[in-house]
Formats: sequence, C-alpha cells, structure tokens
Amino acid sequence: MVIINLLEVNNITKLYPKEAGTSQTVLSDVSFSVKKGECFVIIGPNGSGKTTLLKILGLLEQPTKGKLIYQERDITNLSKKEKIIYRRKFSFVRQKPVVLNTTVFNNIAYGLKVRGVEWEQVVSQVREIIDVVGLKGLEKKNARSLSGGEMQRVAIAMNFVIAPELYILDEVSANLDPQNASLLGEFIDKIKKDMQKTIIMSTHDRTEAIKFADRIGVLIEGRLTQIGSPNEIFTSPKDEFTALFVGYENIFTGIGKIDEKSGLNLIKINDLIITASNQVEGNVKICIRPESIGIVKTPPKEVSYRNIFKGEVEDIRDLGNICHLMVKCQSEKFLITITALSKENLKLKPGSEVFINFKATDVKLL
Amino acid sequence: MGLIIFLLLSKSGPLGPLGLLYSTTAMVIAQFLLAVPIIAGTTKAAVESVDPALKETLMSLGSTESQLWWEMIKESKKSIIAGILVAFGQAISEVGAVMIVGGNIRWHTRTFTTSIVLQTRMGEFGMAIALGLILISMTFIINYALTHLQMGDGNYKSTRSK
Repeated sequence: MVIINLLEVNNITKLYPKEAGTSQTVLSDVSFSVKKGECFVIIGPNGSGKTTLLKILGLLEQPTKGKLIYQERDITNLSKKEKIIYRRKFSFVRQKPVVLNTTVFNNIAYGLKVRGVEWEQVVSQVREIIDVVGLKGLEKKNARSLSGGEMQRVAIAMNFVIAPELYILDEVSANLDPQNASLLGEFIDKIKKDMQKTIIMSTHDRTEAIKFADRIGVLIEGRLTQIGSPNEIFTSPKDEFTALFVGYENIFTGIGKIDEKSGLNLIKINDLIITASNQVEGNVKICIRPESIGIVKTPPKEVSYRNIFKGEVEDIRDLGNICHLMVKCQSEKFLITITALSKENLKLKPGSEVFINFKATDVKLL
Repeated sequence: MGLIIFLLLSKSGPLGPLGLLYSTTAMVIAQFLLAVPIIAGTTKAAVESVDPALKETLMSLGSTESQLWWEMIKESKKSIIAGILVAFGQAISEVGAVMIVGGNIRWHTRTFTTSIVLQTRMGEFGMAIALGLILISMTFIINYALTHLQMGDGNYKSTRSK
C-alpha cells in the first residue's frame, strides 16, 4: 500500500533580514513529511525556530527558499485567493492565545462566519463545541476577560469548529496550569484518536512529546537534526544536545490485556510480552527508564522481577562513569544504563548474551 | 485651510466657474477637509496598533483581506470614535474657515460660531453668550452620546462587573 504524504516540507530555509546586507538564518534546509492521521511533534529549545516553521506551514509566513507540498500540490507560492483556500484547511493555535474583543460565542463562531456558513448552522455547531471544551455558561462572557486556560480553550474551540484537515499547534500547553494542561491533552487526544486528524505540534515538554508523537523531529538552531519514532529519539539521540534535551527513555507502543489470574497487564509489543502493573487495556504507550533495567549473564532465579528477557548486546556507548547498552531482545531494543564497573565485572562486549530484568511497577504508562 | 479653499473657489480661482464661494457647499467642503486628516490619522494609528498576533489568528482562521480589515476596525473602535470626537470638536468650533469661504451671510451661511463673532463685534454680548451656551450644550450632548457608544458596546464592562 502506498501511503501518500499529506504534507511534504522540502528544504525550507528562512532568513530574516537584519541590518543592511546581513541576514539571520532562522531555519536552514528543513525537510520532513507528514502522513495523513499522523501526529508529528517538533521538539527543540526556545528560539530554535519552531514557531517560524509552524507559521510557514500555516501559510502565515513565506519561506525564503524551499517548497511545501500539500496533497501533491505545491502550495509555496499561491495567489492571495488560493492562500485563503488552503489556510482554511489548516488551523493554527498559538502559544499565547489571542481572542477578539467580543463574546466567547462570537469568537468561536468567527471561523464559520468568514466562511459564509448559515447562521442557524453556526449556532448549533458552536453550541456543540462549547460543550466539548467545557465552556458552558461562559458563552456570553467577553473572551478577553477569561483566564489563560479558558482563553486557550476558546482558541482551541475557534479552530475545532472549522474542522480543519491539519492541526498546527504551537506549544499550546506552555503557560498553562497542570489542570488546564491535562484538559488540553484530552482535546489533543480527541483530535488524534477519535477524529483521526493530522497534527503537527511543537513543544518543549518531553512528556507531551512522548505521549502524542507518532514521530518526532528535533529542531535545534534552525536545523532538523533528527527525525524518528519516539523510541528512536529517546533511546539513541544523535548528538549531545538532543541527548541533554530529551533525556533517555525506552518507549514502546503495544496492546495491553489484563491477565485474569494475576491481575497484571500483559502488554504485547510485537513478539515481546511485557508485564505491567497498570490496568489500561487496548493501545498503550509505555516507558521504562534505562536505570530501572537490570542486567545479568545467567538467568536470574528471583521471582520478584516479572519481566525477564534474553537478549544480545548490540552496542556499548562509554560515557565515563556510566555506560549505555543497547540490548536487542527479539524484535525490540532496550537502552540500559549501568556503571562502568559492572560492565567490567560482567565482561560485556557487543554480541554478549545477557538477561535483562525489570519490575512490573517500573513499566510506566504514558 | 479656509484661505486655500477660498482661493480655489474664488471667481478667478481654478474652481471659480462652479460658483461655490459663499455657499453652504463651500463650508461643508472646508469642514470636511479639516476633519478628514484627523479621523484618518487616528484611525490608521488605531488599526496599526492592533496586536499583530490577532491579525495572524484571524488570517489562520481563514478570513479574507476585507474581512480582516473590518475586524481590525471593530477592534480599534474606541480609538476611532475618540478620533471622531476630536474632529467633531474641531469642526463645531471652527470660525476662520467657515467665515472665509461662507462669508457669514444671514439666513444662509451664518453659523453659531460666526454669529457669535458678529454679535460680539456689535456689542450684543447677551446674544453672543446665549448662542455660546446653546453651542456648548449641543457639543456636550453629542460628545456624551458618542462616548456612551464607545464605552457601551462589546459588553466588556457589563460582564466584568458581574
């Protein structure tokens, strides 16, 4: 089956003119593609060009060089009229929401109004969305008088109501309190899982990235240094900067099913079945910290470890006091952190046969 | 300003053949030309001072250029009304220009302000003061109405105080 990319970003470069003659490179040679229904997360530190990149994707800014292909059509240089047509297919939610100086209702209705939707339909659609985002009772309030969290919900609703094909979310959960951030997380989940929409979002919150991403792009100083699945990015960051930024994490996606006898969750990841203490069935994303995985040469007899897998050391990365081991157990790879001393004691080298073990309680659900 | 229009409209001026000098039309033109720069200037400044992020948000929601401008004008309504008030204050108290181009002809191009000037000159201070008071109260009423419009709409205040 050929999967057509919804959006292709080819060699986007953006220069901002500075003083006479000189210019500052904000983005250089950024390329990636996003499939339909995928959630692509761009992570990177402040000032790395995330917002500029997203604005270019939302057709709010023009790239200096490069191409944007949307559903096999070049949308880099469109006429004003066509630009509006394509902008209407996308949504762009910004980090700091801005709303019109009018009621919540009118704000949410705005996108439909500019599209010339009939008033009766506008009313019913807006009412529906207001329920979804939990703004009931606030319809008649002026949107400017709301709190930051409520305002962000209005902003989300403004974009929700126009049912875009592509959601572009720019650090939407930054500046929100934990409660509002988790509410927002639920919306994103809804867009992703229930509505199967394509999302491109930026964040500097790693847990958010792990939770939502199908693929992650690391943007550092205007360059996309690495693109890959969350597992790839978090187990083998390419450069030191990425490693520091993302930290290390073993991330797996699998299907959970609770075992009736033990009451433990058996999560099937390709050929591997991991036992976890959480109780969430169905599609789950789990994470195991590299420090919580033990490694031995002979099969351990201790029963407290629910997860014992036989594997082979693929790679050893020496980091001074500690070592990163990449161990392949059937289809899956695990990143394990051990001290340099235990590496010596175990006489580990690439190709060694080992047993890895970790507790069911160390399997964290994302 | 009054002098320029006078020269343009005078019999030997370029617009002389239209015969507009000393007519109400000439006065309207003069007042219009005096008020427009003030309103245009404040409106432009007001629209430009709207948060660029709001402009971007509306663009991303799919508004066309004209829809965007309309929304910008609505957003800066308060400053625009303030500009109109200033221009109105200027126009209603204008003496020089209307005197020059209107000629202060009785029953024809005599206004409150030109009349006050004339009455004062003739020593009819009582009449002048009476006219002045009427003019002032008219100005107050119109200012009040416009200010009310400026504050009232958008139910910002009413929702805030709830």
